[in-house]
Amino acid sequence: MRINNLILITCRTINQGVALEGGKNTKENVRAAGICAFDKEDFKKLDCPVGTPVKVITNHGEVFVYSTISEEGPHPGIIFIPMGPWANQVVNPDSQSCGTPTYKGMKASVEAAPSGKVLDAVNLIKMLKEA
Amino acid sequence: MVDKNIRTVTDVICPFCGTLCDDLEVDIDIREEKVVEVRNGCQIGTKKYFSSNPGEHRYNKPLIKENGSYKEVKWDEAIDKAADILVKAKRPLLYGFSSTECDAQGKGVELAELLGGILDNTASVCHGPSLLAIQDVGAPTSTLGEYKNRADLVIFWGSNPVHAHPRHLGRYSDLIRGYFRKDGASDRFLVVVDPRNTHTAQLADMHIQVNPNEDYELLNAIRATLRGVELDEEEISGVPKKKIIELVNTLKSCKFGVIFFGMGLTQTLSHHRNIDAAICLVRELNDHTKFLLTPMRGHYNVAGANQVFAWQTGYSYSIDFSKGYPRYNPGEFSSVDVLMRKEIDASLIVASDPASNFPAAAVRNMFKYPLISIEPHHTPTSVNADIILPPAIAGIECEGTAYRMDSVPLRLRKVKDPPGDCLTDKEIIERLIEAVKKKKGE
Amino acid sequence: MTEIKLKLKKEPEYPLEAEAISPDQFAGKSAIEIKKLIVYHGNEEKTLGDFFDVSGNGSEISDIKIIIDGNLSNVKRIGEKMTGGEIIINSDVGMHIGNNMSGGKILVNGNADDWAGAMLKGGELEIIGDAGHYVGAAYRGFWKGMQNGLIKVKGKIGDEALSWANGSKPAKRFPTLICGGAGSFLGVHSHGGTIIVEGDCNRCIGADQVRGTIVVKGKITRILPSFKKLGEVKEIELMNGDIIKGKFIEYSGDHSVEKNHSKIDKKTGKISNSSNGRLFVAA
Repeated sequence: MRINNLILITCRTINQGVALEGGKNTKENVRAAGICAFDKEDFKKLDCPVGTPVKVITNHGEVFVYSTISEEGPHPGIIFIPMGPWANQVVNPDSQSCGTPTYKGMKASVEAAPSGKVLDAVNLIKMLKEA
Repeated sequence: MVDKNIRTVTDVICPFCGTLCDDLEVDIDIREEKVVEVRNGCQIGTKKYFSSNPGEHRYNKPLIKENGSYKEVKWDEAIDKAADILVKAKRPLLYGFSSTECDAQGKGVELAELLGGILDNTASVCHGPSLLAIQDVGAPTSTLGEYKNRADLVIFWGSNPVHAHPRHLGRYSDLIRGYFRKDGASDRFLVVVDPRNTHTAQLADMHIQVNPNEDYELLNAIRATLRGVELDEEEISGVPKKKIIELVNTLKSCKFGVIFFGMGLTQTLSHHRNIDAAICLVRELNDHTKFLLTPMRGHYNVAGANQVFAWQTGYSYSIDFSKGYPRYNPGEFSSVDVLMRKEIDASLIVASDPASNFPAAAVRNMFKYPLISIEPHHTPTSVNADIILPPAIAGIECEGTAYRMDSVPLRLRKVKDPPGDCLTDKEIIERLIEAVKKKKGE
Repeated sequence: MTEIKLKLKKEPEYPLEAEAISPDQFAGKSAIEIKKLIVYHGNEEKTLGDFFDVSGNGSEISDIKIIIDGNLSNVKRIGEKMTGGEIIINSDVGMHIGNNMSGGKILVNGNADDWAGAMLKGGELEIIGDAGHYVGAAYRGFWKGMQNGLIKVKGKIGDEALSWANGSKPAKRFPTLICGGAGSFLGVHSHGGTIIVEGDCNRCIGADQVRGTIVVKGKITRILPSFKKLGEVKEIELMNGDIIKGKFIEYSGDHSVEKNHSKIDKKTGKISNSSNGRLFVAA
């Protein structure tokens, strides 16, 4: 099942903040920042259990992250990924020449990916080194 | 019972976010020079202190990458190799500086000028647009203490302090008694403008659920309504006209209002123009009442980096020294943009983690060339660096000055000694400057 | 016209800052002297001759025609501060082309990068392809941008063109931009700029415009709430007196800006809501 026409927002969360201070290359960080939070009603369209890996796709890339239900809803049509290496696979690097990339507001699609592998930060970034 | 093995340091300034809380208490076990307890800090600040203890995620010796793995070396060898890389580069990038103290930032300016490279700090991906807007239209602003004591209308626009600045509400903006706000939160009206019903919005008296990327139109409609213009549309940016009029009346009728704004405005489309419109709105509200605004700075000393860079070069970030004098132009000299255009041939990353925080395409280009990382912990940037130079953590293992989000300078304390062979950021950059000067024959 | 021909012989690895390429810099110089002019490549000073083959000698500024071949997409600042003469570029060109120009003509037979014609004071800049962001804009921190002159872009431009434009009817300064299509924030903070878009443009057109004229012959994604619809017109008179014929809807704006013309009347307490800014959209 795929949901189209979503808007992706990336931002800080307190768990992501604690995890990044505790060690960005830890499992705690994956669980804090390698996630995508959905509006409760939107998530039903994916027809899979909460926690299933999902593939988030934008014009700038795609990434596997764990799904969760947002505690900050309702926000139909909006998904959010905490700031960090997972979010940065799919954000818009274009700054419209002002210097700051457009980290929020990308159009996104999401697919349930039960067999998708959510990488930890080190392995995710390693892909950028080898590429 | 006073434990003689514990050294307690009070009035500690927390080195995490721009709120720069100044009331932390840290207990150190003097036998092992380890943090054992932190009082008054938020979850994140507390974690930062604990993770400064020696551990598997903390570097304590300089490392050079050889044949795919890291080799421990002495400082002289590491500095020499790093200086070699920097001197040979024709367009080196010096980036970060937001999580260290002001003296180190000043040394960063000196090094960038010496190398003729690009000097940038994290404002470039964060509140840079706020600085651009302030350069265009100014900023009516004040200090957090004034807001705590006077503000009866507090607006968070594109900012979620419960998650990003956890003690902000409790120390300055809502859940605290002020001199003229003796009933604390009951004396204040909290408004949150955000596309999501964030945890901060859930505490608010009014939540304006604006559509993502349409904040400019909403600010424009508010400014127009304030000037008495009748809006033609029934809904703007997802907000009903009635609510906009209600908001404008709230804005006009408060005694002292403040807008705190964050990445919701700087990182969405139209970036600095969003802030431009917010500043013009606040400026005009002063025809009706007292109104000010302050950016919610993310890192604890990014404001300091902007200050120090501006004193010494005239510019706050995205500075190019390649012609021998400082030039400023975000978009042309900003880190992500120069990396996207593949201009950089070496990077020195200080007190920051761009591999985690830059868009993937920029990180890919950054990794193609030599990377030197001045970083206390294992991060996605450091584990891909060619040289790792371990610093003492400013605000924990080294003293210094930091600037709060409202540009108030506070003196960071040293609560314990750094582990292993760590030097302070300032010393490391000083040694690099010396080595670079020698290699350039000065 | 004396022709001076430049041909790029070595593509720059880093952005090449070539403000040395302008009729003013070439005037009275032989080809050998022109080759010795300084250009900046990364953090090194090089000479024009390191990157270009040069033929021809410079005479008077207004007589000089510089023709440049080769891929100049990474060459910045060509034509900076020029006061006369001509430059023809037969490829894409880098940032800051013709910035601070006050006379003469530049023709780009390709696309231009950001900041094309920034701070223009006169003269003409013509781009056959597309241009980037900040066309004819004010540099950071300046509140007076393009003051006069004409920029023509056949293709599309990006955002924030003619920001802080500063035109004046009494002083006969009419900074003008004609483009095939545009992004957002066209004429932001404009004080007397004239912009004509032959095609479509995006959002926030004329934001914070105090006075000036913007004409859109195609579609606008969304008009700002602070613009007031005045009615339909059959012709438009531009600031410089030129007439454009056609059916347009006239809007006044930007009414969110606090300036003289939208002051609060002390007697009536009403807001004087006239604005000298105009936006015309094809009907």
